[in-house]
Amino acid sequence: MIVAERKPMNEILDMISGVNRLLVLGCRGCVAVCSAGGDKEVDVIASALRLGRKKAGQQIEIDTDTLVRQCDPEYLEPLKERGKQFDAVLSTACGVGVNFIADRCPGVRVLPALNTTFYGANMSSGEWIELCAGCGSCVLHLTGGLCPVARCAKRLSNGPCGGSVGGRCEIDPNVPCVWQRIHDKLVEQKQDKLLKDITPIRDWTTAGHGGPRRRIREDLLP
Amino acid sequence: MIAGSNLEQVLRSGNFAVTGELGPPKSGDFEVVRKKARILKGHVDAVNITDCQTAIVRMSSLTAALLALSEGVEPVMQMTCRDRNRIGIQADILGASALGIKNLLCLTGDHQKFGNHPQAKGVFDMDSIQLLGMVKQMRDEKKFQCGEEIKSNEPELFLGAAANPFADPFEYRPIRLGKKVAAGANFIQTQIIYNVEKFAKFMEMVRDLGLHEKVFILAGVTPPKSLGMARYMKRFVPGLDVTDEVIDRLSDAKDQREEGINICVDIINQVKEIEGVSGVHVMAIEWEEAVPEIVKRSGLGPRPEPQGVEPRLVSPGAIEEAVERARHEIRDEFEKELDKARSEAQASRGLLIKEKESASAEIAGLRKELEDVKRSAVKGEAEIKRLTTELEEAKEELQKAGSLQVVAGEATGGPASISQTEFNQGAMTESISSGKLSLREQDALSSLNLGLKALQKVLGLSEDQFEALRRFLEAEFLLQLGQAAPPAPAAGMIPAPAEAPVASTPEEVRETETKKVAARQKDVINLVAKANVLLHKNNVEEALNLFKKALEIAPEDEKAIEGLNKAKALLAEKETGPAGTAEAIPSAEGLPPCPEEITPEEWSRKWVVRYVAMGNVRLMKGDSDGAMEAFKKALELDPGDEKAKEGLERAQAGKGIHVPEVSTEKAVAPGEKEEVPPAEVIPEEKEAREPEAAPPVEAITEKEEAEAPAPEEEKKEAEAPKPAPKVQLSGTPEHEGVGSLEVPVLEKETRSLVERAGSIPEDLYREPCSGSIKDVLIGDGEKAITVGGETTLPFHLFEGDMPNPPRVAFEVLDSRPEEWPDVLTRYFDDCLDDPVKWARKCVDEFNAKAICLSLISTDPNGADVPASDAAKIAKDVVDGVDVPVILWGCGNADKDTETLREVTSLIGNKKVCVGPLSDANYRTLGATAMAFQLPVVASTPIDVNLAKQLNILLENLGVSLNHILMDPSIGAVGYGLEYTYSVMERIRLAALTQQDEKLSAPIVVNLGREVWKAKECRLPSDILLGDQERRGVIMESITASTLLLAGGELMIMRHPKAVALTEALIEGMM
Repeated sequence: MIVAERKPMNEILDMISGVNRLLVLGCRGCVAVCSAGGDKEVDVIASALRLGRKKAGQQIEIDTDTLVRQCDPEYLEPLKERGKQFDAVLSTACGVGVNFIADRCPGVRVLPALNTTFYGANMSSGEWIELCAGCGSCVLHLTGGLCPVARCAKRLSNGPCGGSVGGRCEIDPNVPCVWQRIHDKLVEQKQDKLLKDITPIRDWTTAGHGGPRRRIREDLLP
Repeated sequence: MIAGSNLEQVLRSGNFAVTGELGPPKSGDFEVVRKKARILKGHVDAVNITDCQTAIVRMSSLTAALLALSEGVEPVMQMTCRDRNRIGIQADILGASALGIKNLLCLTGDHQKFGNHPQAKGVFDMDSIQLLGMVKQMRDEKKFQCGEEIKSNEPELFLGAAANPFADPFEYRPIRLGKKVAAGANFIQTQIIYNVEKFAKFMEMVRDLGLHEKVFILAGVTPPKSLGMARYMKRFVPGLDVTDEVIDRLSDAKDQREEGINICVDIINQVKEIEGVSGVHVMAIEWEEAVPEIVKRSGLGPRPEPQGVEPRLVSPGAIEEAVERARHEIRDEFEKELDKARSEAQASRGLLIKEKESASAEIAGLRKELEDVKRSAVKGEAEIKRLTTELEEAKEELQKAGSLQVVAGEATGGPASISQTEFNQGAMTESISSGKLSLREQDALSSLNLGLKALQKVLGLSEDQFEALRRFLEAEFLLQLGQAAPPAPAAGMIPAPAEAPVASTPEEVRETETKKVAARQKDVINLVAKANVLLHKNNVEEALNLFKKALEIAPEDEKAIEGLNKAKALLAEKETGPAGTAEAIPSAEGLPPCPEEITPEEWSRKWVVRYVAMGNVRLMKGDSDGAMEAFKKALELDPGDEKAKEGLERAQAGKGIHVPEVSTEKAVAPGEKEEVPPAEVIPEEKEAREPEAAPPVEAITEKEEAEAPAPEEEKKEAEAPKPAPKVQLSGTPEHEGVGSLEVPVLEKETRSLVERAGSIPEDLYREPCSGSIKDVLIGDGEKAITVGGETTLPFHLFEGDMPNPPRVAFEVLDSRPEEWPDVLTRYFDDCLDDPVKWARKCVDEFNAKAICLSLISTDPNGADVPASDAAKIAKDVVDGVDVPVILWGCGNADKDTETLREVTSLIGNKKVCVGPLSDANYRTLGATAMAFQLPVVASTPIDVNLAKQLNILLENLGVSLNHILMDPSIGAVGYGLEYTYSVMERIRLAALTQQDEKLSAPIVVNLGREVWKAKECRLPSDILLGDQERRGVIMESITASTLLLAGGELMIMRHPKAVALTEALIEGMM
């Protein structure tokens, strides 16, 4: 899922300075799952903003709502009109939702409440880790299902660098060396021949270095 | 041969190769690179040029490599993937190749996190293996990475790669080395080797793969520069295996550097013997000087003559061209210099001639003048002769007339006139004799005079006419005499130019033009000199006039023009700033030199302000004379200063009256006037002034510190009147204390939290607890108190109930306290020896809700008062007050058992609370308490589990939780308060939210003794720590309020004010 975290409250308060009518708009997608932008968080943010404004001696009228998703046009349809009643819409969706509102709802000023961090998974309560970089060219079949693009600090393709010691990455002892794990996994699966093959230089266009990415499925086009 | 580099040739010839390392500087200083290159030159076959190693920005490896090459040292250019993508890398490779670089070491690069720009975006477009492949393709297939053809001059590079035998997974390392070889590595340089054993094992695996036959392997070594460096590498450099042996050798060594070199040499000698090792890579990081020594001692020198090390950037043709160009440049430069010198010489010669001319003109003028003087002297002589003859004639006539008119002459007053003449003659003789004239001359003069007198008579000349004539003759006479002296044309002897008007006499009309010129020149020189003197004295206007005059006479005089310009400039400066330069300030001489950063005007202004302030202060002190002096000084500097005038008037009028005039803005109450310290009055005046004028005494001293030029006396003067500050910097200040023991009622929040929370849904902040705290009754009768009983976290009244507010008990000691500071004992001075009276005082005066009697005298390590005696005191106290009493033992388990048993036997059924019960005496004391149904204090040392365990033990014994108060042991603020807090909080959370019944007893907090034993409560008042009593009270009340929030229900405290504050807080929060 997309993992995000709420921006510092003061940053949001700065962002909405001058806004008198605000809609805090949540999303029940990934950001709800990672406890950053679902119903509960929308309420918390709205309350905190009211308190913050009150503390500053300013008034603000805040409405809240949470959409099923902010990344599908049908859910955004009502916002096109409703959003105009507010000075701004503070979206607690990931960057996708914020962009999509900006694209789809002209005349609506949309602001981000979250920092969209990465594609990751919930390790344990309160901990998420990055597991995929969305590079558009998956090599997981060659690496024992563990991604060196997302999980190696240098995005190495051909084995661990000289800084791998005791299964730990040199940049931070709390970070496991993914290449050690790939090595162990492939050896365990008797796939260690893969470790001897040279992985050729990558094509990074699929990772966004060729410009904004777009996907077309002819068969699904209307 | 691939690239034909020296390194390649050495390796292929089977020689044991040596490479070095050169870290480019963190600057653009090419000398650093050259210096390092020169140190390494001749001792290594090639030198690695690092590419921003450890991700720290340095001179680029390409540039530094070229500089090394220009020194005749073959570079191995390092190339990382961290900072460039494939476009940048390939571009640099083409450039490197074009400029003669033949070795390239392909690396992934250290992560940017380790460098000085950890926020940088790491490129990592490829890794080292892919880089090798890309460069190999460029070289061997003449193709860029994209596949496009390199039409000509493909890079010819001997490709290297790194290997780390000490990183994990160890068994994979040789395989990865194989990948590098397959990708295109021609040589390998390993990570620094200290663990030779492990390296040998690695090499064995490499040999098993047959890699040693496909690639040249150079073992990496580094001389440890110091023990510190070795330890650092061992601890902090991932993938570096520094053995304990190395550390030991260094720590035992007398000379660590020497030992470092020895270690390095030993390792080289060991790895040299390992099969498959083709050379060593000596990395003497920032210690290049060590390399020659290491190479020598390892027997690796001398190195083969380098082959093919040619900097392409500097071709022989280019050198010749450069030499030729330099030669031209030097010649041009030389000629230019020569011309310049020549023209200068000419100019100075011209100047010399001019000088000579003017000098000779002057001399001519002087000569002329001399001749004039001579001539006039001659003329004078002639005149004298003429006069003498006239005189002779007169005498003769006189004689003739005398003989005829002797009688008649007597009758007409002749004798009187003669006597007068005689007198005159005498006076003249005298005056002349002082001029040291010869006797003969004197005679001549006196006779001359005599004759003159007669002449006067005969001719009937008036007195004035006669005098003039006499003088003239005298002068002529003297001049004639002077002629005898040698002529002195020295400047000092030149008569003043004022004599020039003499030229108007008819005799001098014939004077030549040259003489006039000379005189004019002299005038000009004189005028200019005078003007310059005036200019020095800062009399600019006058000087200007003189310069102008001089120019009128000689319009082309350079010095006069120069002076005029200078004077004009100074005048202009004066006009722009009315106060003029520093020297121009009338009384500025008395001031210290003006600091550079401010203008003299401002400086003077500052001093006006300073003097006024000084005056005000002196006036305050009653020193009217001193004040007047200060104000006068201020007025001297600025006669228009209103404040100073006013002050002076005041000082004059109010001699002896100390009451200051108060400025208009703020009236000081009449009663206050006498005491108002100047520091308070002056700021008001300051407000009336411009902000820069800061007359308060403190401000002045501060300013002086900041500006620093004020002389010492001034500073003292300014400081002296400083009034005694409220708090002295040293010594014991006056006791301030806490003042009244009254504490204002804390304002309560009238609106409920629900109301205040507005539209935040209640369930967002409300988390009601399911558990509850037991309630414990202490004492008997009306004043008995119940503690505990709440169903919520402390003061979370929106989540549950707190039926019994937390209580505070006063601590009373059973004997005179020895270590209580007097800020505490002063409240109980009259009763410190009588615990009963003390306890009563607490109840009657300080409204104590409970008393805690500390039986400290029973301590076996202290007074060791027998249990029976202590019990009596305890009984008296219990009987003496009507509030509940807690009896707190000395902390010695056995003694407490004894004492408290005694007490219970004396007091019977009274519901006193006894403690502390610990795991050592809970059985005996627990049983006693149970027998009398007394509440007990269960003490444990700041630990949730121990607290719970003791409760369980007591319960097992049969003591009901309704009779237990938990004492979790606490630390005062600054002495472990936060730890205490967290333990208490956890106890409370366990009881309330996890229904841990065994922890649901109320908490008693004996904090007074913890707070008042802290040194902060014992140190006397001083400016840094403030008033001692306040400090203690604040520490006690903060500790209390904090622990109230953590769940404390019964607080045992000492200071009445702290108790009052705590109770006010409880009242306000309930």
